Amino acid sequence: MKNKPELLAPAGDLERLKIAILYGADAVYIGGPMLGLRANARNFTFEEIKEGVIFAHNHNARVHVTVNIVLHNKEIKEVINYLRKIEECGVDAIIVSDPAIIELAKKYTDLEIHLSTQQSTLNIEACKFFKKEGVKRIVLGREATKSDIKEIIDNVDIDIECFIHGAMCASISGRCVLSNIFTGRDANRGGCAQICRWDFDLLDGKDNKIEGEKPFTFCSKDLTMLKYIPDMIDMGIKSFKIEGRMRSIYYIATVVNIYRKVIDSYINDKEHYNYNKDYEIILRNCANRDAVAQFFNGVKDVTCSYYNGREEISNQDFIGIVLDYDKETKMATIEQRNYFKKGDELEIFGPNINIINITIDEIRDEENNIIDIVRHPRQIVKIKIEEEVHKFDMIRKKIKLDKIKNS
Amino acid sequence: MPKKIIIPSSLKQLEELEKYVDGFIIGLKDMSVNMPTYFTFFEIKTILEKYKTKEIFVALNKNMHNNDLEYLKEILIEFEKYQVKILYYDVSLVNLKQELNLNIELVFAQEHSTTNYATINYWKSMGADYTYLSNEITLEEIIEIKNNTDSKLLVTVLGYIPIFVSERHLINNYLTYFNLQKEDKYYIEKENKKYLILENKNNTEVYSNYILNAIDELKIYEENNIEYAVFNSLDIEENTFNEIIKNIDKLTSKEVEKILNNTDKGFLYKETIYKVKNYEK
Repeated sequence: MKNKPELLAPAGDLERLKIAILYGADAVYIGGPMLGLRANARNFTFEEIKEGVIFAHNHNARVHVTVNIVLHNKEIKEVINYLRKIEECGVDAIIVSDPAIIELAKKYTDLEIHLSTQQSTLNIEACKFFKKEGVKRIVLGREATKSDIKEIIDNVDIDIECFIHGAMCASISGRCVLSNIFTGRDANRGGCAQICRWDFDLLDGKDNKIEGEKPFTFCSKDLTMLKYIPDMIDMGIKSFKIEGRMRSIYYIATVVNIYRKVIDSYINDKEHYNYNKDYEIILRNCANRDAVAQFFNGVKDVTCSYYNGREEISNQDFIGIVLDYDKETKMATIEQRNYFKKGDELEIFGPNINIINITIDEIRDEENNIIDIVRHPRQIVKIKIEEEVHKFDMIRKKIKLDKIKNS
Repeated sequence: MPKKIIIPSSLKQLEELEKYVDGFIIGLKDMSVNMPTYFTFFEIKTILEKYKTKEIFVALNKNMHNNDLEYLKEILIEFEKYQVKILYYDVSLVNLKQELNLNIELVFAQEHSTTNYATINYWKSMGADYTYLSNEITLEEIIEIKNNTDSKLLVTVLGYIPIFVSERHLINNYLTYFNLQKEDKYYIEKENKKYLILENKNNTEVYSNYILNAIDELKIYEENNIEYAVFNSLDIEENTFNEIIKNIDKLTSKEVEKILNNTDKGFLYKETIYKVKNYEK
């Protein structure tokens, strides 16, 4: 029996935490009130962490809390109290980058410690060091190749976590302060302003502009390991991590849902496992960004970067989320997230249903009036759906897979 | 006065400035990042033999992959024969020192993470007796660190500061993608500010648009017993840099600014923003 890896999803708030778990995440990682690397995310209060932990544990899932900033002097005295508070919330692990926090966590708490990718750990010797230090799991650096990962797993008895999907730093994690220099916001303390996605003029040594059809940028494509999930399972990677604590519930639901299916399908029947190209298209559509396997195959060429401009259109595919369903009237109550109208072809997906295709033929507002268009953000409406749907199922524009495949 | 350490751009510069300084930081080909030049192992051994009275720091500060470890072990064992101090970023060096029981001195040099005394003291307890402090902390923080650690501290006093390291070939890929000609040197520009961008076979590196100029602060470093002041020659015209170093004890920040025209105090008096909400105590 193969070891089933953990599917670890990001959760920027309580709603995302619940969505991630309901859609199949075995664990979520969240930011607490301080010392995390997403200072601009909403993040969790201690009360919310407690509530999230109860929800997760009731669904046999785990909660990891990021405590992965680079410390400055003024935070040192706050760390112990903060770690104790997190421990009281009942979380399953903390994700740490700064070894000073590892030491304090070991001394003052019984928290399970995971080493953050911010340490960019890529080799056996570094893994051995952190194992001796009591670290239970290492999130490897994004630059780890397949052979790096395999050699580490074969030589060090420590849990290994790898990213499988999401945005990439253009730099080695932890070795970039572009944000500090350009905006004064500290990249390694939660303030990253993503300067690597800006356009720049590229000059030669005599200040002549070197002009391609598009400006120079550091911008990397996203990561997707969809094709390599079977390899990663066979290698014995303990946890598959999805990036994106700032991402929407739709993104989280879509990505978690697909990787859940891929992992389960391979684990349950390796012999008959087939790569599903449709999943690739759905993921591409959802993120609106190109994605490749990045460093896994040792590739560092032009295919990993955006040099030809980048669509940054906000995703309008997410139509709404199901709040309730009345089996007798077959009316689903939904909260709108994007404009839709009578006659639209939509599809519904959820953790416990196969994709349901519908054409909208009846919409009613909260006063039960028939309406043709739903245009107000978060408007509550009822739509007719013949097949049963459930709370937290999601409605999106129909993804025309055949058309995309043939384009 | 803190000991003067220079990061030379060439062997010639090292030789010319040798009598004016206490030591050097030098990079080893394929094992270092953020250095103006990279010497071969043979060249470094020659430098170590020749300048026995100088303090020599070798930067082995790249992120190590498994296929670097064999060579890393070999050179660490070889460096043990010399009084050399090793700058490390990757934790593999600390483990190798411990496991092989190597008598080498380590410098904690994770350039953006050497920001507080707790972390510095942690690495000291693991065998790193020296720390090269981050360029993104304030003067006040530097002094507070000094007051709370026994680690011997290096601070940058003059030079462009490293702000980005990637394993990607960002320039070459761009040129390849758009079928553009290669040049000898590159900068990126934004809002009329220019940033040096370097690429070698291992990395792409970016540097600040200004030269950090903490010449006036040398006195404060001296008063606070900071051990080492680092002067980085990267992308500064060789003769200009040499003259500054030769006259450093007589120069002020203002005079150095007049010579270089592009200096700044960096983050010494400017704290970076860390957005954090008040949490429930």
